[in-house]
Amino acid sequence: MARGLGRINKMDPDELKMLKTRIDVATAIMVALIAILVVRLWHLQIRKGTEYAQQSENNRTRIQYIAAPRGNVLDRNGEIIIANRPLFNVVWIREDSPSPDEVLKQLAKILRLDISVLLDRIRAGADHPRYLPTRLKENIDWETLIAIENNAYRLPGVQVEVVPSRDYRYGEMASHLMGYLGEINQQELDASKGGVYMPGDLIGKGGIEKQFDRYLRGEKGQSFVEVDVRGFVQKRLKSLEAVPGNDLQLSVDINLQKAAEEAMTDKAGAVVAMEVNTGRVLAISSLPALPLHEFSGGIPGEVWQRLLNDVKTPLINKPVQGQYPPGSTYKIVTALAGLSEKVITPDTTFFCSGSINFGNRTYGCWKKGGHGSISLHRALTESCDVYFYQVGQKLGPDALAHYATSLGLGLKTGIAMEHEKAGIIPTKAWKLNRFREPWQDGETFSIAIGQGFDLVTPLQLCRLTAALANGGTLYRPQFIAAVKDSTGAFVSQFKPIIDGTSLGSPKTMALIRDGLAGAVNEPHGTASAAKMQDIIVAGKTGTAQVVRMAQYKATSPSKVPYLYQDHAWFTCFAPFDKPQIAVTVLVEHGGHGGSAAAPVAKAVLTKYFEMHPPTPPPQAEPTAAPLATP
Amino acid sequence: MFRFDRRLLQNVDWVLVGGVLLVTVMALLNLYSSTRLNDTVGLSAFFKQLYFNLMGFGLILLIVMVDYKALIAMSYPLYILGLLMLVAAMAFGQTVAGSQRWIDLGFFRLQPSEPAKLITIIVLASYYYRKDTGKGFTLGELFTPIVLTLIPFALILKQPDLGTALIILVIFASMTLFVKLRWSTFAVLTGTALGALPVAWKMLKPYQRQRIAIFLNPESDPLGSGYHITQSKIAVGSGLKFGKGYLHGTQGQLDFLPERHTDFAFSVWAEEWGFFGSLIFMACYFFVLLWGLNIAVTARDKFGMLLAFGIVALLFWQAFINMAMIMGLLPVVGVPLPLFSYGGSSLLTNLACIGLLLNIRMRRFMVAA
Repeated sequence: MARGLGRINKMDPDELKMLKTRIDVATAIMVALIAILVVRLWHLQIRKGTEYAQQSENNRTRIQYIAAPRGNVLDRNGEIIIANRPLFNVVWIREDSPSPDEVLKQLAKILRLDISVLLDRIRAGADHPRYLPTRLKENIDWETLIAIENNAYRLPGVQVEVVPSRDYRYGEMASHLMGYLGEINQQELDASKGGVYMPGDLIGKGGIEKQFDRYLRGEKGQSFVEVDVRGFVQKRLKSLEAVPGNDLQLSVDINLQKAAEEAMTDKAGAVVAMEVNTGRVLAISSLPALPLHEFSGGIPGEVWQRLLNDVKTPLINKPVQGQYPPGSTYKIVTALAGLSEKVITPDTTFFCSGSINFGNRTYGCWKKGGHGSISLHRALTESCDVYFYQVGQKLGPDALAHYATSLGLGLKTGIAMEHEKAGIIPTKAWKLNRFREPWQDGETFSIAIGQGFDLVTPLQLCRLTAALANGGTLYRPQFIAAVKDSTGAFVSQFKPIIDGTSLGSPKTMALIRDGLAGAVNEPHGTASAAKMQDIIVAGKTGTAQVVRMAQYKATSPSKVPYLYQDHAWFTCFAPFDKPQIAVTVLVEHGGHGGSAAAPVAKAVLTKYFEMHPPTPPPQAEPTAAPLATP
Repeated sequence: MFRFDRRLLQNVDWVLVGGVLLVTVMALLNLYSSTRLNDTVGLSAFFKQLYFNLMGFGLILLIVMVDYKALIAMSYPLYILGLLMLVAAMAFGQTVAGSQRWIDLGFFRLQPSEPAKLITIIVLASYYYRKDTGKGFTLGELFTPIVLTLIPFALILKQPDLGTALIILVIFASMTLFVKLRWSTFAVLTGTALGALPVAWKMLKPYQRQRIAIFLNPESDPLGSGYHITQSKIAVGSGLKFGKGYLHGTQGQLDFLPERHTDFAFSVWAEEWGFFGSLIFMACYFFVLLWGLNIAVTARDKFGMLLAFGIVALLFWQAFINMAMIMGLLPVVGVPLPLFSYGGSSLLTNLACIGLLLNIRMRRFMVAA
């Protein structure tokens, strides 16, 4: 050490200088490296800072969505038809369950389920993070809910999740109109723009719920939360309230709807009731109803198959999707065309012997014995086929089609319902195009009485009837009276839409209305089943042949198999002198219009006039045809 | 030798003391912020570090009492003690996260690789001081220091602790370049080091290689090993000019930043105090180190100079590597920021370094007894 110490004092000045130089170099290197750090810091915090700040925000913030209460659906009087109702689901959070076996055993007992059912559910969600809830049972009832709450201390990790759902106050009434909700699928997600929907959302799958989903759904609220690296919420940052969906007030009167559907009990078909001067739909019914209660949470395959195979075709929304030959109701069109084209006058008579020969075929009248000498009024009243065969034959298919189309047949009505059908009103060109065959004159006979190629929907026929009643205006059928937001303010309100005016002078129409009044009110009328005490109803029956096979010709109607029985039509308006309401009834395979369909219309009318008693009080002599033409 | 000269008191380097105190206060502030919400460490870490600081200040007092020259004689015994501790860590040490680095002393888990760094500096400074002929070292004369370096290097690498092992090499390189070398020696050493690189790559553990690969392309694995770098860069970058505010750094407080009280402590600071706050910290911090170089320049003798230089090199390289790492300039190698990161062994070693600097400074005008 002495040696070492001795050297200290003798530090070579040259060496000292050299070392000092090296320290200077070291200082320079340090400063340079520090400068690199400072530049890097500047790069990260100043130059790219905003970018990193955004990434840090994305790291820590999550958006939780708050479901918006869906709008209610009300009838024209404010009666709630569809409202919201919470649905209670049992969920399980594995992370919070220290002894899962015991908990699940207890839970299975409360839910009255086999534990294997629960285990299957858990296995299906096994790849979920442990802190996310797994759904074990949907839609538990009150007793189960209370049982779970009471046993909460024995069920750690088990929670009850509250999910909004729909409450159909009138069950399956107007089921096709109302529609239903279901979880959104990928296609619907792809189709939606602007991120309105998210996976797991409920969306309207049919009816009003689908067509007016944009009003009903409201806007989700958003809650911005701060989460830590494990996703646990640390605090709420800000939130945007959910905007409740708009309420839909329908023009439909639930009482009329009920009357219609009760009158149609056990029948298949359609009922449409409409205000003749506005196009507002008062009732629109398709039967059999959809079993909406089986649709929540997706339609099970076997239910779908059962509905698909049902001969009464409940999956078809018959007022707009059902296409039927109009039968004798079409005589309104033939009469209007005949008078307007002047191939007949009100006084033109034909002789009905019960049938007419044309070419080498015989065309029968429904009345085998014949109507004898018959003119327009009685032909409508008693629905003489032979009379209209001849009118049709004089007009030809194209003239008939011209008038039919002006009355809205063969055209979609534009009602806000899915998959509306246009029906068929044939012309010569149509047949050539469709079948590559020229028109046969005999076919004119068929279409003149609404058979053959003619196909209409019940809604079209109702609109036609309304147009006849109001003097020729074709209103678009609408069933929304108003859209209101949650404060009750109008978002939009009903406005009548006129889609066209039918051909035919007011006088011509009056003649036809007379004939229809006669059909209901005169002794030999075909529609006396619709006759009312105080109100003059004007209507037309129709019996549309489905397939009349030779083997059933002689069979009595009750022995004919269901699918081969005729469709029964009745379309009418009332009151005769100041029409307010048009009602059209179709009973599928119901037989005769007068017997099967007219009573249904009468039930609807009765209910309607019970609620809207006509003023002034009815005339003393309602049975007399008041506007009989000279 | 143990007599304390009153004149020394007049020569206490208050600038160094003040600088170190400032850095210590910032370190404790930052540690409080980064641990108060941490479930696994909690506030106990803050108080532990506080006690270690007090212990460290006591250690400084002890160190400044004794002339640093005494270390020349003590260098080999210290060296042997250091190696024994490293061997002990390997033999009985606790395995934490795959590495055997700690000896449990009951009240304290000692990480022997930390004092080993300082001991290596002392032994190298002593050797170079004693063997210096003034004509520059030959390769043969460097054999002993190379062996003295490689033994702790190998033991630490075996733990495995790549970062600390590399620091040992870097200290050797810095100190050896500081003393006079012959050009031929320099050329051979550099050549050997470069030639050893491929061999070294082969010897790395897979996770170590992966870290380097990920450093070169951090986006390749954002949720795996690249996570550390990505989250640290987000933390630093999102601090912007003025930071998110003390205790309000989201990356740190919400756990996105891993190792945030140890290796990534400066990320927390940068996030909460921003660019200007970080500049202030770096100014204080590097001022202390540059001041350390000044202590080396003004040292009374060449041993003091070598020792001070080695200490500054130790502190600076760790600081540089750590900061470069958290800012994504270097791969994640697990080097703490001296005097700032949490860790008792590291803090005590670094405060001992400061004690030695003070010691050298105080005795610059003193003639050896």
